[in-house]
Amino acid sequence: MGAAQTVPSEAAWSDWNISIQANYGDHKRGCARSMTRSAQESDNEFEARLISRIAEGDDSAFDALYERFSGSLYGMAYRMMNDAKEAEDVLQEGFTYIWRKAATYDPNRSSPFAWAVMITRNKAIDRLRVRQRLEKLRERVTSEESFYQDTDETSANEPTLRERGALVRSALQQIPQEQRQALELSFFGGLTHEQIAQRLDTPLGTIKARIRRGLLRLRDCLKEGL
Amino acid sequence: MIDELKQDLLVQYLLHEVDTATAEQIRAELESNAELREFVRETEEAFASMAYAAPPMAPPVGLPLRILQMERNLSRGPSPAPRSKLIWLVLPWALAACLAIACVVLDLERTRLQKETGQVGQELLALQQKNVRIEEELAMLQKKNVLAEIRIATLRAQVAAYETASAVVVWDKNQKSGVLQLDRLPPPAPGKDYQLWVIDPNIAQPVSAGLLAVPNDGLIRTSFQPATPIESASAFAISVEKAGGAPKPEGQIILAGK
Repeated sequence: MGAAQTVPSEAAWSDWNISIQANYGDHKRGCARSMTRSAQESDNEFEARLISRIAEGDDSAFDALYERFSGSLYGMAYRMMNDAKEAEDVLQEGFTYIWRKAATYDPNRSSPFAWAVMITRNKAIDRLRVRQRLEKLRERVTSEESFYQDTDETSANEPTLRERGALVRSALQQIPQEQRQALELSFFGGLTHEQIAQRLDTPLGTIKARIRRGLLRLRDCLKEGL
Repeated sequence: MIDELKQDLLVQYLLHEVDTATAEQIRAELESNAELREFVRETEEAFASMAYAAPPMAPPVGLPLRILQMERNLSRGPSPAPRSKLIWLVLPWALAACLAIACVVLDLERTRLQKETGQVGQELLALQQKNVRIEEELAMLQKKNVLAEIRIATLRAQVAAYETASAVVVWDKNQKSGVLQLDRLPPPAPGKDYQLWVIDPNIAQPVSAGLLAVPNDGLIRTSFQPATPIESASAFAISVEKAGGAPKPEGQIILAGK
């Protein structure tokens, strides 16, 4: 898997970040359709088998899973940490956990990717909390500009990953801005519902509803897209 | 149909925002409720899919190999430390070993010193006892020496009228003084006094040791000292002198002795 993109320098951030409006503005309303459900299920099964082999100490399975997930997970970690070295540390901690706990993975509870995402995200949140960098991230996440971008897709040479990225971004486009903002603060900012409510000076109940509705909308869009 | 409150709770559970007891309760519910389980699974999938929204990045090269090496090193136990680290690892133990050895040596030394102290104490006690004996002997010798330094002279009457009188002089050579005891000495005639003399062979004239005041009972016990310093006393004499005495014997010698 070569979903590669070089880490942008601080100076390049302004060019790299594209506002949500500009990013999603040209998309048609409604959920994108790209992958087939069977392809997704086939991927899940294959990745679940990889995890099963990892649990047995198979190095090549570990390499293969890393090859499939690391680009997205590293991008996510970088988005959360805003620091390449720390993102690499998060990725290392996440995959170390996967190596150690592969035997605990339950395919009935979550897909391999969701499992890996939640593991890596938790590692990132641990670091964020320890290093008290939440304030900086909150500012970035709640800014009017989004980190999402489509223009660099040419650098992603993995079609599946590109498709998934496009699908999710398209799905996010369909979500009302307030819900998307709450979801971003939760996912990339690592904030709890309560922290988001404080951050946005909004009642906790409202934040819960925004996140729930945002997630359900995202789920439905992804289902439709698949 | 799952109500919204329940959905909110499940989302918070999914994001690890519920306490341990609530999480445990939800896990139990999920085990028995397929609808809840499906909701959580789909919601987690949707939430996790947001990872795709971040631009993918080229992952670090060689990270899997690094992870596997670290994991295998951990399972094999600690690897040999580099030399510099080895020093810091060994140094505390070396210091501890040195300290332990020093403690043992000091303890042995202490035991040895205690033993020696006991011996010295016994020797000191013996020396003290010996010293006491020496002091006793010294006192005895001094006593003997004192006696050696004392001269006792009996004065005899030189005149018949004083034959009944008796006089004894005890002379201390070191102190250059003496004690005179006179008995049955009649009172001197009016205008006369008895005067005691010390004869020093190195001095031409006897040296006066003072007048003797005779009480009614005729018993005199008095200490005396020559009027001028003398080297040695070879004899003592008592003479009858004019009242108030004389610088040198002028009257009759009535008692004398060596």
